[in-house]
Amino acid sequence: MNVEGCFYVNATLEKLMLDELRNACRPGMVGGFLPGVKQIANVAALPGIVGRSVGLPDVHSGYGFAIGNMAAFDVNDPLSVVSPGGVGFDINCGVRLLRTNLWEKDVLPIKEQLAQSLFDHIPVGVGSKGIIPMNARDLEEALEMGMDWSLREGYIWAEDKEHCEEYGRMLNADPAKVSMRAKKRGLPQLGTLGAGNHYAEIQVVDEIYDKWAACKMGIEDKGQVCVMIHSGSRGFGHQVATDALVQMEKAMKRDNIETNDRQLACARIHSEEGQDYLKSMAAAANFAWVNRSSMTFLSRQAFAKQFHMAPDDLDMHVIYDVSHNIAKVEEHVVDGKPKTLLVHRKGSTRAFAPHHPLIPVDYQLTGQPVLIGGTMGTCSYVLTGTDQGMLETFGSTCHGAGRALSRAKSRRNLDYTEVLDKLDQMGISIRVASPKLVMEEAPESYKNVTDVVNTCHAAGISKKCIKLRPIAVIKG
Amino acid sequence: MEDILEEDLTLPPCKYEYLDHTADVQLHAWGDSLPEAFEQCGIAMYGYMTTLSTVEIKEVREIEATGHDLESLLYHFLDELLFLFSCEPFLICSKVVITEFITEGEDFRIKCKCYGEEFTLGKHPQGTEVKAITYSAMQIISEPEHNKFQVFVIIDI
Repeated sequence: MNVEGCFYVNATLEKLMLDELRNACRPGMVGGFLPGVKQIANVAALPGIVGRSVGLPDVHSGYGFAIGNMAAFDVNDPLSVVSPGGVGFDINCGVRLLRTNLWEKDVLPIKEQLAQSLFDHIPVGVGSKGIIPMNARDLEEALEMGMDWSLREGYIWAEDKEHCEEYGRMLNADPAKVSMRAKKRGLPQLGTLGAGNHYAEIQVVDEIYDKWAACKMGIEDKGQVCVMIHSGSRGFGHQVATDALVQMEKAMKRDNIETNDRQLACARIHSEEGQDYLKSMAAAANFAWVNRSSMTFLSRQAFAKQFHMAPDDLDMHVIYDVSHNIAKVEEHVVDGKPKTLLVHRKGSTRAFAPHHPLIPVDYQLTGQPVLIGGTMGTCSYVLTGTDQGMLETFGSTCHGAGRALSRAKSRRNLDYTEVLDKLDQMGISIRVASPKLVMEEAPESYKNVTDVVNTCHAAGISKKCIKLRPIAVIKG
Repeated sequence: MEDILEEDLTLPPCKYEYLDHTADVQLHAWGDSLPEAFEQCGIAMYGYMTTLSTVEIKEVREIEATGHDLESLLYHFLDELLFLFSCEPFLICSKVVITEFITEGEDFRIKCKCYGEEFTLGKHPQGTEVKAITYSAMQIISEPEHNKFQVFVIIDI
């Protein structure tokens, strides 16, 4: 190992982590997936890594890197690597939060209609196709321009960009480095939510921990209605990652890069493969922003139709948009010296402290808002970045709940109607394209998001600001 | 596109299952030969996306996959099947037949006919989306002397 590996947990989460480790180490265990703890250690052994290989509280086993893993590499070290496994297949999967000036009592009488309207507007689930008209040339432009494209085409408001990481556009994106295959997969899927853990939710503010910071985000009081969208770069990003993994296998052989695990395919940052990946990853990131922007547009339309008011009058502004699967070049202080790092965040959210130059003017004093999506039926949180987080985790924190049960186990142990009844009792309307998914995505299948968030808060790597409770869920 | 014959409409028996994995799903398929295990693995993947009994055979497409070893051949074979579903012609298949299976020296190649129809919302129930095929814990067991042919693949969902 080149640096230390560490992970943040409380007592409950520690048990889950160590159980995973124990299960995987049982004699005679085949199937052979690596537990999160070992994966964090393998990442700590990659060339060029600095600081620590950090597991956030929601960490669990993933492909190569654990999900909920942050690792930073020194860009000026010629041996440093970039790894598609450190970003994940769903490049720039992320969460966006819109506020409204509605209150729970305004929404409750037409909650079902509103949920249905959102479900009708946003294409969800496997095999669904986008309804935003697009041809191959539009796609090329969207890949290069990100949310600037959405703005030009009139799908978003100019202010939306301000409240996005990177202003919704990675400048180093190069669509020419992206395979035809990825573009073909991406084109029909632009503006679709996807399946799995992706969702659009209508939420209400359940608790405010930091009144002042909440005010800066336009959240006034308990009961205010918000919309959360969790989606990524769809088939486009998946294919970019797949293509890069194939390329990097070759580069690893050529450059004699040794890793502990074959799945940690990587290439030197300054090699051709490394640069090509960063450029195509940036294009995929732009795709994801355009995708979330298209769904922002559709959500605003759905609300506007139900309330017979313009989205402007409903004050449907983007509070913030975070990426939780991405690698970015950032400046950080390592051992008292400023350094340029390539920070991989997989299942981990950027959480920059107050006064950081890369966060928008509106949040300069509060710190960057960090959106933590819960799971179907559980709460979501808004946190803010802290100075301590900048030092300990290079400004990174958790991203969500993190799975605890396998999908197959959830299906076996949980009953479809029971899960639905439970949601109904909690007053949550649900529209889901695939019934099977209801069990797989049930709250019981996940770690408790409150545990995860409290651990981050207690560790000081981010600070609790707002708690949101869902009242309607739209899923693939 | 070729015509579909009467015999093409008979479906193969089910020789696959889904195994536990924390975030993803592991496909386990078997058969009386390695090509059959590969075919079954392909159907297993499609079976995760929809209910296969709703799929009619109306169309047949041919795909080709190559690799530099057996694992990469299986990987690219599944990737081609996923691609067939993900964009034009959006094909969901209930039957795949490998017509050519070459694994000699450096040459690993598959030609395969895929039988199914265009995925249509309303007709085909939406299952789970497959993001990508992975090499994670991939196993290919080929023991002709025991008539044992099995494959294990984790798909990212």
